[in-house]
Amino acid sequence: MSQGKGQGAEKVIECMKCGIVMELGNVEVTYLNSKFPIQLPKCPQCGLVYIPEELATGKMLEVEKALEDK
Amino acid sequence: MSEQGTILSTTESVCPFCLRRLPAQRVLQKDQVFLVKDCPEHGLTKTLLWQGLPSYQSWARPKLPSQPKACFTTVSRGCPFDCGLCPDHRQHSCTVLLEITQRCNLGCTYCFANAGADPAADPDLATIKGWFEQILLAGGPFNIQLSGGEPTLRDDLPEIISLGKSLGFNFIQLNTNGLRLAEEPSFVKRCQEAGLTSVFLQFDGTEEAIYQTLRGKAILQQKLLAIEHCREYQLGVVLVPTLVPGVNVHNIGAMIKLALGYLPTVRGIHFQPVSYFGRYPEAPADRDRITIPEVIREIERQSEGKIQRESFKPPGCENALCSFHGNFVLLPGGELRPWTKHEGCCGTVEKAEVGAAKARGFVAKYWAAPEVRTVAVGSHGGAFDLWDAFIERARTHSFSISGMAFQDAWNLDLERLKDCCIHVMSQDRKLIPFCAYNLTDSQGQPLYRQVKQR
Repeated sequence: MSQGKGQGAEKVIECMKCGIVMELGNVEVTYLNSKFPIQLPKCPQCGLVYIPEELATGKMLEVEKALEDK
Repeated sequence: MSEQGTILSTTESVCPFCLRRLPAQRVLQKDQVFLVKDCPEHGLTKTLLWQGLPSYQSWARPKLPSQPKACFTTVSRGCPFDCGLCPDHRQHSCTVLLEITQRCNLGCTYCFANAGADPAADPDLATIKGWFEQILLAGGPFNIQLSGGEPTLRDDLPEIISLGKSLGFNFIQLNTNGLRLAEEPSFVKRCQEAGLTSVFLQFDGTEEAIYQTLRGKAILQQKLLAIEHCREYQLGVVLVPTLVPGVNVHNIGAMIKLALGYLPTVRGIHFQPVSYFGRYPEAPADRDRITIPEVIREIERQSEGKIQRESFKPPGCENALCSFHGNFVLLPGGELRPWTKHEGCCGTVEKAEVGAAKARGFVAKYWAAPEVRTVAVGSHGGAFDLWDAFIERARTHSFSISGMAFQDAWNLDLERLKDCCIHVMSQDRKLIPFCAYNLTDSQGQPLYRQVKQR
């Protein structure tokens, strides 16, 4: 996928595979048997989901750290 | 496979009668694995190590050995006779036990410490300070368990806890039968204020008959009262049943159910299959043992499949064959959802000391009471409400189910002993692996534990 066309809050994200603009859609993130619903940019054609860096290093990391195994 | 079975691998052990070191074989017969050894003086011994699924061979978690940072003994006679730790040891300390008294207010049928039989005088505070300092020299601070005897018999227990805290030991756990915690809530309060983090509570079942058999008294109500008092003063509790075939194995599911009812005070349940060292009624037959896979299967069966065997994995700290654990979170609707991470189980080799550090962190985080927070989360209508609610629930309602199989003179595997991370501070400031420290021969003579001189 590619980012670019647009700036700041109005960022437009394209699916690299299909070349079309992603749209916000309902996504379920699954981690260790738990499901977390969220709205994320999703390709209307192939279903590929874009996970922003701030989600990966933010809330997703927070969940991972809440569950620290040995 | 011959009638005698298949030799899976070889190791070393000791003769249960004279404790001399012997070559030993791990032998598979049908779904059972035995330790077989032959003493030139006392003959052949064959002891059950493992029974059924998950299989012995599958229960692996290979580690790259880590020599202790400081060794207080040298290699002279070889394992298990040089403990201190010696340079041949392969793991750092996760938890160090300090036995602060040999006195006890129970006379249990099974007691690895043979406590209360003829107790020596308690070590004074200066001696205990020397023990803490020795742990720092060994590379600590490590997690501390105050043990005995029954440590709550010491009125200066809060001072001992404060002493440890002042020297930088942030996780101090109390190994107790809970009787004084039940009788004297003000003592619980003083221990908590001194810095106690967790209570490792002897808890053998939900039926009084179990206590009559194992502890000589009906003390279930005192156990529950002890938990209540820990709740009052925000101390995390881990229930610790000694599992004895024919006594309380049928009660595993009921114990887990009861434990879950006391979340978040009770943070987990830690099963200890009975071992035959210290004080026990008679030399064991295989039917007197319950092995790790049997415990796992009983958990699955007695929970009616709600807790599945796949939720458990071998440890990253001690030898894989010494324990199992699984992590869960109890959700508001009553679902017990597993979150065990199965990393490190599939043939990858981990560095032993990294596993020890992880285990210390895990215990400090999940066996202590969760901090009380007054601000509600997940109620602001944001996109991450459910995520935040889960994070908070995992913090307060995580629950661990685990078990550790100790080794006695019959089933001792010296490879496992070298991987041990639970160490006891001896009177002469040596760190001795738990199973070596408590090892006794068939006549009850200890290898390391000091008995009072007459």
